[in-house]
Amino acid sequence: MHQSGFSPKARWDMHIPEDSDSAGEEFLNQRIDCLVLFKSGKIYPQRFTCHNKEYEIKTINYNWQERRGQEVINFFSVSTGTDAYQISFNNTSFGWRLDKVL
Amino acid sequence: MILHIDMDAFFASIEQAINPRLKGKPLIVGSRGNKMRTVVCAASYEAKRLGIGSGMSSKEALRICPSLEFVSAEQGKYIWTSEQIFAMLEGFGFPLNYTSIDEFQMDIGAHPEPLKLAEDLQKQIYANFNITASIGIAKNWLLAKTASKVKKPNGVTLITNANLKEVLSRTPLGKVCGMAGKTGAILSTRGMQTAWDLYLKMPEFFEENPGKFNEEPEKPKSIGHSYTLPRPLENPMVIQAWIRLLSEMVGERLRHRNISTKTIHLWLNGPEIGNFGAQKTFALATSDSFEIYSRSLKIASQVPQKRPKIRALGVTASQLIPQEGLSLFLKQNQREGLIKALDRINSRFGDGSIYPAQVDLTRRVK
Ligand SMILES: [Mg+2]
Repeated sequence: MHQSGFSPKARWDMHIPEDSDSAGEEFLNQRIDCLVLFKSGKIYPQRFTCHNKEYEIKTINYNWQERRGQEVINFFSVSTGTDAYQISFNNTSFGWRLDKVL
Repeated sequence: MILHIDMDAFFASIEQAINPRLKGKPLIVGSRGNKMRTVVCAASYEAKRLGIGSGMSSKEALRICPSLEFVSAEQGKYIWTSEQIFAMLEGFGFPLNYTSIDEFQMDIGAHPEPLKLAEDLQKQIYANFNITASIGIAKNWLLAKTASKVKKPNGVTLITNANLKEVLSRTPLGKVCGMAGKTGAILSTRGMQTAWDLYLKMPEFFEENPGKFNEEPEKPKSIGHSYTLPRPLENPMVIQAWIRLLSEMVGERLRHRNISTKTIHLWLNGPEIGNFGAQKTFALATSDSFEIYSRSLKIASQVPQKRPKIRALGVTASQLIPQEGLSLFLKQNQREGLIKALDRINSRFGDGSIYPAQVDLTRRVK
């Protein structure tokens, strides 16, 4: 069956960082080190270090991908128990970032 | 039989799944970042219960509920989630269709246990994405879609010949696809209040819609993309590269829908120029991204400042008309061939696999 109607294919899909009043979000955009489990084609961040402080990831709440040209960014919402953070992995630079506190 | 899946408060549910702090709270997703000056494009069920709904101004929503949580929309997440759900549903092996970013139709034929299937689908969606869906099942797409609206959120409704009257009688006319606006309002002045009233007057409306699988997408009024830069930039080369990228995105969507545009609108925002917006209508319609870009630059040349700092920008195409088949000029034809080839490559290898070299400049500025 051919697909018709709405096509959700993300065309040049990219994150649009607007000036935002979004729910108490604090934009950090910090480079971080991350301990990661790659398993069955999926990425599971375990813990990360930002400014010498270590954060143990208790749960991965959600993850999604965005394409920026040829780069693919994997985003993760993670909880450390007390707080939730958005971190991201760039498949081209192999860099991890702490994007914001949720 | 058709099974219609409608995600519940899709954007808001995704935001609640991402941010545990927002779970169970009244939340709106705004189309722009400014909390006070945007439009609600999705409301969580907690907000809906307070009478807040999409299309309302955020100001009005905040007046109803001052403690309302606010998140600005990020399309990428929703599109990605939608694609993942589609891929997951495809795994069930039935013909599958999108009807919108958060609605899917499955042709389940003569499935022996449609209710069980619907529950399995709901469970899988919830397990994978932590969001809920409502499902309607009926003999055709229109009834299935109507059924999906009957029990929301997280409901399943099966319409059979036996319960058709009962279900339609308690479904307000406005919940039937196509009846939410003017048509529905006119019919309700003629005494039709429920879907059943409509059925009695026009049974063929419900009967003659076997499936929506080959229907043309609705024609949009305008197609546009905008972007907010990480910081104000003044290098004209980089600004132009951004305009080029946005033009590529607009052109690609036009070509995908087989339409072209006569009017281009360019919007620029920056600390010195404030909001600059101008549009120009051209005699010849186009869907060529480079042409859209050139036209945008013509508009940009109207900005009085020489090297204005730019913080955000947008390119929009309107006056959309169906794409004309053949071009009079050979050169134009060759260009169309090239564009088609590029689009094919992008759809084969992922969008953005091939793009104009100029666009690369947009990636160098971090
Ligand atoms: Mg929905």
